[in-house]
Amino acid sequence: MGSFLFRRMSKGLLTIIVSVTITFFILRLMPADPVSILIDPKMGPEVQAQMIKRFGLDKSLPEQYFMFLKGLIHGDLGLSFKNQQPVIDVLMQKLPWTLLLLFVVVILSLAIGIPIGVYAARKQGKFADKLINFLVTLGISVFVPFLAFGFLYIFAYFLKLFPTGGAYTPPPKQGIAYYIDVARHSVLPSLTLFCSNVASIVLYMRNSMIDVLGEDYIRTAYAKGLNEPLVIKHHALKNALIPTVTVTGLMMGTMVGGAVMTETIFAWPGVGRLIYDSVSAMDYPVLQGAFLILAVSVVFMNIITDLIIAWLDPRIKLGG
Amino acid sequence: MENRRSFFKYFISNRLALAGLIGVAIIIILGLFAPAIIEQPKGYGPDILLPPSINYPFGTDNLGLNILAEVIWGARTSLYVSAIAVGVAIIIGVPAGLISGYKKGFIGSIIDSIIDIFLTLPVLPLMIVIAAVVGSSITNVAIVIGIFSWPSLARVTRNSTLKISEMQFIEAAKCLGIPQYSIIFKHILLNVMGPVLVNITLVMATAVLSESGLSFLGLGDPTTWSWGTILKKAWDAGAVIDTPNPWWWWFWPSVFIVFYVVSFNILGTGINEILNPKINKK
Repeated sequence: MGSFLFRRMSKGLLTIIVSVTITFFILRLMPADPVSILIDPKMGPEVQAQMIKRFGLDKSLPEQYFMFLKGLIHGDLGLSFKNQQPVIDVLMQKLPWTLLLLFVVVILSLAIGIPIGVYAARKQGKFADKLINFLVTLGISVFVPFLAFGFLYIFAYFLKLFPTGGAYTPPPKQGIAYYIDVARHSVLPSLTLFCSNVASIVLYMRNSMIDVLGEDYIRTAYAKGLNEPLVIKHHALKNALIPTVTVTGLMMGTMVGGAVMTETIFAWPGVGRLIYDSVSAMDYPVLQGAFLILAVSVVFMNIITDLIIAWLDPRIKLGG
Repeated sequence: MENRRSFFKYFISNRLALAGLIGVAIIIILGLFAPAIIEQPKGYGPDILLPPSINYPFGTDNLGLNILAEVIWGARTSLYVSAIAVGVAIIIGVPAGLISGYKKGFIGSIIDSIIDIFLTLPVLPLMIVIAAVVGSSITNVAIVIGIFSWPSLARVTRNSTLKISEMQFIEAAKCLGIPQYSIIFKHILLNVMGPVLVNITLVMATAVLSESGLSFLGLGDPTTWSWGTILKKAWDAGAVIDTPNPWWWWFWPSVFIVFYVVSFNILGTGINEILNPKINKK
């Protein structure tokens, strides 16, 4: 267990360092000069020089990189170009919103996608299975803004059931009313992300369930006289879950991408929208911080996925 | 030859593959012959925000341009972008997969770790940043998409190569003293073509999703008609939630994106079924 975690974490750390390094150097290649965005022409040359120094922009590229790494170890991500707040504060304001969205979506996708996948596998080749397969193909192929537009058109414009954007109606209300307000605002973004993610879970669950149901030990279970629900629950489900869990872990990268578009469309104040805004404002330090958070969360999810798989499949030895 | 003929026989009899092929053919025809089919939409016109009618089957936008023409020219852009992206992905991914699968050992595991790391990177946000850096020419965007599409292709190539390289005819080829590069790029490559082809159709599909996403976020080429660009213009003009509501403006480009992606996806699934008939029988 210990050595597994150690190996897994060192690989994760490597992923994070690679991701952070790639972003650092790519961002420095941006054609526009951040100094000119940052500095008000009315400032005197001394103030300008002081500001350039404050952001470390007077140093060479390798020096800036090592300063950045040094700051990273101390939990210091630098200052935002745009409003000169510490990047870590900017990120911490946005992160809970994205986590809320992703958490709701992952839980819903698993809770609804797994039973549908199992059902499709049991009805393999029948009409219900074909219908589910058709919907899944659509779900995998759908363009996230299209879903978002469709939901906005039906539920916000036509039926006027849900708000069109934001995470709450300003000014924020007090107590229970605030939570209800946030929940109402989160329905459409969650629904959008849910629809684009649940399809792949259904697909993998169905395919792996079909594989498992063809195994000899399932025939043995039927031969013992067990009925179908029991066979599926006690013999097939755990084994069929393994590929599905792997896919859910790998999906995090794609989900984050979908979150950028979803959050942009619904004006959701999360990390995805922050990335979009920071690209337009060319705010490197914030972008760097956002990518660090993304890389860390993807790695973290992958480690959790591996642990769940090891729990599902005792043959996988964590120590080995 | 016999083999090839039976592939086509199965292809025609597989309805999924055939439907995918027809869809792909429609898009390729629209894309290649766009200038012959309809004039490139330019400038502005008097018919602003007209709903679909006989003159304008898909309606017009807020500049009075024909949305049907925009969508057809968008097919051209999508085809161009996915072709370049796939080309880049093949150039990097296939050799990487072949070499890491054949060589195993140190080089193999290094390439494999690189594939692993690239697969876990949050791709769209990285593409956004790079697209912002390299500037919004459609070719640049396509190359950026290709650079992030190779890992899945490399993984598929590697897995098939691992299987093939254990086979006896490869051993025989080694004994005959055939040079290594010739074994890798001729004998193995020919035999991993199937799964690689399936993955290429999937890369074609995701490339268009990425391009539309980037264009939608305003990082595409504003001078070229692409489905994402049309959606961005519609969104910026408030076509989704404002009254009056020109739904046709965002609906048709979105439908074409879905049509494109579904066509390539089911073509891939169809080819996969033909190559592995066992999937059907189970």
